[in-house]
Formats: sequence, structure tokens, C-alpha cells
Amino acid sequence: MNAKLRRLLSWEGLLLAILLVVATLNTNLAPAYLSLNNQINLFQLSIEKIMVALVMTFIIINGEIDLSVASIMGLAACVVAVLFEQGVPLVAAIVVALLAGLLCGAFNGFWVAYVGLPSLAVTLAGMIGFRGIARILIEDRSIGGFPAWFTTLGQQPLLGPFPFSLLLFGSLFALAFVILHYSGVGRLVYVVGHNAAVARYSGVDVPRLKLGLFCASGLIAALAGVLLAARLGAVRGNTADGFELDIITMVLLGGVSIFGGAGTLGGVGLSILLILNLRNGMSLMNVTGNVQTGVVGMLLILSVLLPNLAHVARDRWQRRAMQRKEVQASIETSASS
Amino acid sequence: MKVTNRFSLLTIGLILVMLLVACGSQPQTTAPTSAPAPTSVPAPTSAPAPTSAPTGAVVSATPGLDIDMILLPKFLGIAVFDQAYEGAKEAHAELGNKGDLIFTGPTAENSVAGQIETLTNAATQGVKAVMLSNNAGDQIAAAAQAAQAAGVKVVTWDSPIPSAQGESVFVAQVDFTETGRVMADMALAILGPAGGEFAILSASPDAANQNAWIAAMKQVLTEPKYANLKLVDTVYGNDQSEESYNQALALVDKYPNLKLIMAPTTVGIAAAAKAMTDEGLCDKVKVSGLGLPSEMVSYTLSGCAPQFALWSFKDLGYLTYYLAYGLATGQLQGVEGERFNAGRMGTYTIEKDPTRPNGLRVLMGPFTVYTAENVNE
Repeated sequence: MNAKLRRLLSWEGLLLAILLVVATLNTNLAPAYLSLNNQINLFQLSIEKIMVALVMTFIIINGEIDLSVASIMGLAACVVAVLFEQGVPLVAAIVVALLAGLLCGAFNGFWVAYVGLPSLAVTLAGMIGFRGIARILIEDRSIGGFPAWFTTLGQQPLLGPFPFSLLLFGSLFALAFVILHYSGVGRLVYVVGHNAAVARYSGVDVPRLKLGLFCASGLIAALAGVLLAARLGAVRGNTADGFELDIITMVLLGGVSIFGGAGTLGGVGLSILLILNLRNGMSLMNVTGNVQTGVVGMLLILSVLLPNLAHVARDRWQRRAMQRKEVQASIETSASS
Repeated sequence: MKVTNRFSLLTIGLILVMLLVACGSQPQTTAPTSAPAPTSVPAPTSAPAPTSAPTGAVVSATPGLDIDMILLPKFLGIAVFDQAYEGAKEAHAELGNKGDLIFTGPTAENSVAGQIETLTNAATQGVKAVMLSNNAGDQIAAAAQAAQAAGVKVVTWDSPIPSAQGESVFVAQVDFTETGRVMADMALAILGPAGGEFAILSASPDAANQNAWIAAMKQVLTEPKYANLKLVDTVYGNDQSEESYNQALALVDKYPNLKLIMAPTTVGIAAAAKAMTDEGLCDKVKVSGLGLPSEMVSYTLSGCAPQFALWSFKDLGYLTYYLAYGLATGQLQGVEGERFNAGRMGTYTIEKDPTRPNGLRVLMGPFTVYTAENVNE
């Protein structure tokens, strides 16, 4: 446990170090980087993804995955847009969209938790299926023309210069942090992720926990989808397409184990900061989209390779040290005899 | 058991909190937003500009100023956008702008989010003009309005912002109504008076330029001369080669009597021509639309795509640069009736855009129709 804690601490330390390097480079190379406006923009441009990444952290630590989040985002956005177009009051449309997201999450959760199907398969089906429903709803169109209060929802400064969605993200992060690290539920998430069988035999209602997590994932994804629709001011069938990979990337780079049972929200927070700052800096330096994708990709490869390489190197070094000790000992014994 | 109960309570609590937060914020949101950003629409001439010439006179922009400008294509890796950059570079050198001309763009998969990001960051960087070939439909309007409010001129080219919100002026490559007629005429020339079934393979459903051309073409098709041309379907390849290729083949499967695929996009037409050639369908199904001579030459000579049309993207980039430079330096106001000098291309006028109620445009033109005779030039 202690060793694991140290490993995680060092992983977060590494993320922090890279983040500091990136921030220093950005500060020196892009004069506008440090401005408050830019710092807020940096979050605003990805605010929907990082919200969903919080719940994804729970899901992956719990030993599952949810590939359908981006499709739920798209579906929620389409539901809002289509209902609005039909003349339904926007507030009601938003509530329906959130409920739709909750329903999608419950659908995923049911198959995973109570039928025991692998979440990879279930949510892959959800990813395709929910996107399909969204496309059926909206077809090849683009729906916009929302009232002004909606198109600025989340973006208008609420407290000082800080916009609503950023404050919402901050509150969600704090809430998630407390639940995961300071509550019984959080401990259960780890226990189940570490060994679901043991948890079950210890009397934990594992299916209920998993269902709850998938419901939360669906709901937050729907909320993020509504906020995305508001920020963009127009919705089409491919809204939020492909976001799931960015979201899972943030969680894994944060040191959360894909096998479940390990990882912290602190790490995910750092990884979110790292990716956003890296992208923002490159964008301010007018690095093209192709190169940006390449750089983030390389960072990920390194993030997978480095800890494992370090592990291998340490093992080898320890083995060699042990061998040397044995040789030394045998020489000593032969010399004394 | 007790713990999981607490969990479900927490979940419900979370949901309630979210709903409350979402609902609670709504009344507040109405207040600050009731007045739309005043800077989004080009201000009327009431604001006197010291450097601008009186209305009616042709503005020749003062060269040698120092402003940074971004040329932002739909995404990178498309030949015509590189050609537009060549034209913009030429104008950049001619005007002796001491600032930078930056050519940057997103990847195809990240086009919408990437364009919004670049536009948002432009204001932060102190860039004075963004020349945008919009691929995000109205989804970019909010970001464009915010950029305008922060002092960035947004000039669109190739593809405008449909609502014109956040856009100063659009540089239209050709008259959109004319595009419809040119496409209808090419279809008629290929299919002959007997006509037949044809389908449209477009870019994305949100591409304002393609949509306007298709609408214009449908209008033209109602004339008796084109009565035998039967448009059976419109499909979208999202300006991706593989997707367009597959869509072209799907059209052939779906409509056995299909005689022509009309693709008003350079990616689509090349992909469709390749698909028909690969499958040996060229005798049965012809391809036409808007294409690049360098990409289409072999298909035109083989008879697979006997006719296609295009304008010069290099000129488009050049003209867009002249307009954006004039606007960003305050020498042009971006109002209807203003005339300006665009270097080697001569004089242009800012006018109402007939295809968009609130839009302003500068019309470039004209079309070149390419056939086996002139495709090699």
C-alpha cells in the first residue's frame, strides 16, 4: 500500500513537473498566455469534456469503461434542439435531455451491473446506438436560433470574471473529490475496482454501485451536451463526435489504472491541466492541428512507456544488486573456508 | 448495504444540485445577454474613420502597416486551401505588412472545435484579422462575435457564416446563383436533352456554400429546359476522400438508373471519379461538379468526368487578404457600397449578399468550365 501510494505520488509529481515545464514555455513563448482571459478561455474551450472526465475517473477506477459518453452528449444536444424546434419551452427541453442522458446511463448500467456483460461491449453498442438515435432525430440538419439566454448559458461571467460553467466544473470537481477520497462510497469504488468478487462476498451491493455510476455518467454527459449546444449555439448530428477518446485520455494520463482499483482525482486534475495548457500554448504559437495531435499523442505514448520502463529498469538493477551480493557472499565463504 | 444506500442518496442529491444549479442560473442569464454584442455587426458609417475615403471613392489601403492576420481554412491538407494561402502570401508581400500572415488550421476530425479554438485564441494573441473558410456552420457564430467584440475582424471566404453573425464581410468566390446554373448546365451537357437520374454528393450538411449552391441549382432545375434532369438524392461525404468514395458507390447501388454524380466539392468530385473508375462504371455513371484541374485531369481525359468547373483559389486568397487588411487597419468600414482596390485584381464593391438576409459580400467570379480541351492548361 505504501509502495503504491509512493508510485502514485511520483506519477503526480511527474505530471506536475511536465505541467510546470509547459507553463514556463508557454509564458516565455506566448505573451498572451498568462492573461486571465486566456486562462478562462483555456478551460471554456474544453469545459464539457473535463466535466465528463470527472465521472469517467470513477468508472475506470471501478474497473469499467464508458465509451458512450460522447454519443450521450450528442443525443442530449439533439434532444434539446429538436424539442426547441417543435416549440417546447427550452427549460422543459433541457430537463428532458437530462432525463434522456440518465436513461442512457441506466441502460448501460443495467446490462453491465445486473446482466454482467462487459462494459466495453455494452457502451460500445451505446456509443453507436445513442449516436444513431441522435442522427435519426436531427437528420442531416443543423438546428440553431436559440434564445440569447441559452447561447450564453455557462459562458456569462457569474462571479467576478469566472463564468458559470467554470464554477460548475469547480464545484463538481470538489464534490467528486470528496466522494471519491473521503466517503464510504469512494472507498467502495476502489474496492470493487480492485476485486469485485471479494467486494461481493464482503456484502457490497456491487451491481447497485455500478448502476449508480453509469447513471451519473449518463446524467453528467447529458448536462455537458446541453452546455456544448449552448456554447456552440447550433447542433448537428455529429456534435461532440469523438470526444470519448479525449475524455478517456485525460483520465488515463492522470494515472488511473485501466484495470481499475487505482488512481486519484488529483492526478486526473493535473492531467487535465497539462493537456489543456499544452494545447492552448501550441494554439497561441500557431502550431497547426496536425502537429498538436501529434504532440499530445507522443506525450501519451511516453506516459505509458516511462513508468513501465522505470519499473523494468528498477527490477533489473535490484536483481543485479542481489546477484552481486550473492557472488560477494560466495566469494567470502569460499575465502574463509 | 448501508453505504450503497448513502451512495444512491448522494447520486440523487447530485442530480438535484445539478438541476437546481441549471434552473437557478436561467433567470440570471437573461439579464446580461438581452442586448446582443453591439460590435458583432459592422457599425454603420456613423463612426467617422479618419483614414477612410468618402463613400463612393475607391479605397486603396495604405501599405506597410503592422498587423498580424490568420488565414484559417476548414482544415489542413486540402490543395485548394494551400492555393488560397499562396494568393494571400502574394498580397501580404505586395502590401508590405510588417506583421505576420499565419496559415494554421485544425485536423479534419477536429474541424469544428479547432476552428472555434483558433478564433477564440486570435483575440488573445492580438491578431487583428481572421480570414475564415467556415466549416462549423452557425456553431462558430458565438466565437466569431466574441472575437469581433475583442477587436478581431472576421472575414469569411469560400464558406460564410450562414447567419452572418460575427462576420464582417464574406468574399464569395462566385455568385451562388450562378453556381447553380453552371452545375445545371454541365449536367444538361453531359446527360443530353434526354436527361436522366442524377444525385448530388456534397461536403457536410452544414457547409453554407455547398448548401447555397445546391439550393440555387434546384431553383434552376425547375425551368422547362432542364425538365428531364431528375435529382434523386443528396448525400454527404464530409469532404473526406474515403467517406465520399463510399457514398458515391452507395449511390450507384441505390439508384440503378443513375447517370451522373454532381459533386460541388473538390474532394467529393475526385473521390467519386476515382470510385467510378475503380469499379469500371464510367460508361454508365459520369461525374461532374467543382474540381481542381490538377486532380481531375486524368478523369476528364478518360471521359469519366467530361466537364467540371472551378474558380481560382489563389485569387480568392489574394482578394480576401486585401479586404481583410483594409478592414483590420480601419481603412475600410465593412459597409454596403464601399469600394476598394485589390491590387492586380482591380476594384471591388462590398454589397448585400443575396443568399443571406443579413450578410455582406464581395463577389469575385468568374467560373472556368474545364473540358478535355482546356484541362491541361
